[in-house]
Amino acid sequence: MAGHNDTMQISAAGLRAQAARMRIISENIANADSTARTPGGDPYRRQIPVFEAELDRVTGVNTVRMTDAVPDMSSFKMEYNPGHPAADEQGYVRTTNVQSLVEMMDMREAMRTYEANLNMIENHRRMMDRTLDLLRR
Amino acid sequence: MAADLSALQAYQAAARAAQQVTPGGDTAAAGSANVDFGGLVTDAVASTQETLAGAEAMTQASLTGQADLIDVATAVSAAEITLETVVAVRDEVVKAYQEILRMPI
Repeated sequence: MAGHNDTMQISAAGLRAQAARMRIISENIANADSTARTPGGDPYRRQIPVFEAELDRVTGVNTVRMTDAVPDMSSFKMEYNPGHPAADEQGYVRTTNVQSLVEMMDMREAMRTYEANLNMIENHRRMMDRTLDLLRR
Repeated sequence: MAADLSALQAYQAAARAAQQVTPGGDTAAAGSANVDFGGLVTDAVASTQETLAGAEAMTQASLTGQADLIDVATAVSAAEITLETVVAVRDEVVKAYQEILRMPI
C-alpha cells in the first residue's frame, strides 16, 4: 500500500502547486489596472510563480511545490492620462506589466496541469480497483 | 479439493502479509497467536479504522477551514481503498472457510 499512497501524495502535491499558481494568476489579473497613487510611484508588478522539485527524505519521492512568486522585472507600460493622480509632468501614468493574454494562457496551462494530476489519481484508483477485482473473481 | 487447498494457502499468505504490515505489533511475542482468523481480522480492522479516522479528522479540519480540499480528497480516497481491500480479503477468507465447511467427511 506504500506505493499507492506515494502516488496519491505526489499527485496531490501537483494539485496543490497548480492551485497556488492559480492564486498568483488571479492576483495578476485582478491587479491588471492597479497603479500608484502618487506621481513616479510604481504600479503593481506582475508575479511569476516558481515551482521546485522537493525530495521527501522519508519516503524518497520527488514532489512539486510552488516555492515562491518572483516579481516580473519587465518594463511598465506608459499611458497618457494627465488627470490621473499618478501622472508625471508629461501626463503619463505608469501601468502594470500584466498582459491579460499571457495570464489567460498561464491560467489554461494551470488548469491542464491540474487536470493531468487529477487523471493521474483517477487512473491510479482504477489500477487498484482492477487489482482488487483479482480477489473478487 | 485442489480449490480448497489453494484458498487455504491464499488465506495463510494473507495472514502472514497482514502481520508483517501491521506497524508496531508485538510480532515477536504473539508470533503464532496472531496467525489465526481473529487476529487477522483484528489487525485489518484496526488499521482500517485508523485510516478511516484519519479521513474523518481531515474532513472535520476542512470544515473548520484548517485543511485543503485536496488533503480531504486524498485522505478519503486512501481510506476507501483500504476499506475495499480489507472487505475483498475478508470475503475471500470467508469463502475459504465456507469451502472447508462444505467438505464431505
